[in-house]
Amino acid sequence: MTIGLNAFLIIAGLLFAIGMLGVTLRRNTLVMFMSLEMMLTAVNLALVAFSRYNGTMDGNLFVFFIITVAAAEVAVGLAIIVALFKRRQSVMVEHLNVLSR
Amino acid sequence: MNEGLADFLRGIAATNEWWVILPEILLAVLALGLLVLELLSPNIRKLVPRVAMAGQGVILVLLLAFGCSDCGGVPEESYFGGLLQSNEWTMVMRVFFLFSALMVSYLGGLFLARQNLAKEEFYHLVILVAAAMMLLVQSNNFVMLFVALEMVTVAFYVLVAYRRSSSLSLEAGIKYLILGALSSSILLFGIVLLYGVGGNPALPGASGDSLNFDALGSFIALNPDNPLVLTGAMLVLAGVCFKIGAVPFQIWVPDVYQGAPTPVTAYLAVASKAAGFMVLLGLLHGPFLSLQGFLVPVLVAISGASILFGNIAAVTQGNLKRLLGLSGIAHAGYLLMGVVASCSVDWADRAVLFYLITYLLASFAVFTVLSIAGQGDDAETSMETYRNLSQRQPFLGGVLTLGLGSLAGIPPLGGFIAKLFLFVAAFQAGLYGLLIVSVLGVVISIYYYFGWIRTVYFKSTGATDEAASAEVLGIQARCVMGFLVAAIILLGVFPGAMSLL
Repeated sequence: MTIGLNAFLIIAGLLFAIGMLGVTLRRNTLVMFMSLEMMLTAVNLALVAFSRYNGTMDGNLFVFFIITVAAAEVAVGLAIIVALFKRRQSVMVEHLNVLSR
Repeated sequence: MNEGLADFLRGIAATNEWWVILPEILLAVLALGLLVLELLSPNIRKLVPRVAMAGQGVILVLLLAFGCSDCGGVPEESYFGGLLQSNEWTMVMRVFFLFSALMVSYLGGLFLARQNLAKEEFYHLVILVAAAMMLLVQSNNFVMLFVALEMVTVAFYVLVAYRRSSSLSLEAGIKYLILGALSSSILLFGIVLLYGVGGNPALPGASGDSLNFDALGSFIALNPDNPLVLTGAMLVLAGVCFKIGAVPFQIWVPDVYQGAPTPVTAYLAVASKAAGFMVLLGLLHGPFLSLQGFLVPVLVAISGASILFGNIAAVTQGNLKRLLGLSGIAHAGYLLMGVVASCSVDWADRAVLFYLITYLLASFAVFTVLSIAGQGDDAETSMETYRNLSQRQPFLGGVLTLGLGSLAGIPPLGGFIAKLFLFVAAFQAGLYGLLIVSVLGVVISIYYYFGWIRTVYFKSTGATDEAASAEVLGIQARCVMGFLVAAIILLGVFPGAMSLL
């Protein structure tokens, strides 16, 4: 039995939706950040599946670029979160309210 | 097999014209060179700002001297196997971005002089962002587009959070980080859907190279009603709308503009927004050409909502950086109107470019004054700082008035002509409803821009003469602001001068 393209796409779509919900609903910036990474993983899964079923290599290639970019994003993002934690002793969203006043 | 592969690679390498991206390469070398200079002795280290600005100036002059003469005759050319495409538009935008970077470096010098922060990395990042944006406007392939866009975005995360001693700046950084990464993921998901459906061998016109704009465009022309194509295009549009700060995705704008260091705010307001609009124009006239009927109503709604939201929210705003952010949302709305009009009026894209250029000049004039006059905490720029500025610093007051007047669209200034072009384009395109909304928006905007100008010229009743920071303006600052103001007036009186640029 082979698994069809649609199965991969449904999983990717679900992962993407879960990640998006995580970013919008969770209150901890670290968890939000993890959710963002999950969205990128969903994109990668969809790319690899499309690449396999369409018979083109571009998608596989693109995945490497996305992984690299995600790594850069994590490096910068965690640095900002750590610096913020040092100043505020908190990474929760409800404490990020000094601006807009 | 090996012969075939070698031929294939040779075929790809045949279009690798490295001289085309020479300015970008030089900028990257300059940026890396600055980091090397930093490692050397402290004496050399002091030269870094000057080297950075001189280097950018030289590259800008080279680009103006050689680039523009080369691209005049040839309308469009593809390089690097279709990854990049250059035409006269991309050339103008490269100059635009490099000039913005130069201005931001200058403002950064003013800003860093008052802060106890690492100086070298600021210039490094500003230059890298400029190089990435220059590649972004030339990209003709979604991989190239994504990588260039992420290079811009990740560097901006660092720049926004650059004052790491200030929790305001860090908070702005984390907000930009989370929302920026979210929008990038959405954009990426859209790209993947387009890639997947465009390469599906079962559909007519499927291409093996569906990440390329041209191949994707001809595929979409054959399958304009495919639900995956529509979903993908909408997601890509959402990602781009985040970058330009249009209404459903504007939530980050006021906070990030307020918290970011002032030069970075200027960079975000001008260059990042312009890059977003160029990508939007490129997509709408490239791969999404056949989807215009579907996308135009969406863009009209976004444009109208942006104009109304930005202007109405700015009326009650007392913090000037937030005010500039909110009015920037409104400017994004006017520009979107021009983008929509460009679907049916062929000269409207030039009106958008003209608007971007006047917006660049006026914004930098205002932000330069903000950098010089705004003392103390960078994020707390209240209206009170500027009370009676024209008495204390007549030159600054005048520049601020002209900059704000141009942003509001007052007749002899460039901003007026730019708005007029956009409105005429919208009229010719038959966007009457949007036109009414934007005229309304302009009227509201005159109220808050003139509120600021009034503050500059009048004392409040019973104002104590606060410690007047009458530091003498340097000749350099006068030259920079004089140039900006002269260009604003020149473009207003004689709009044809743009063709000289």
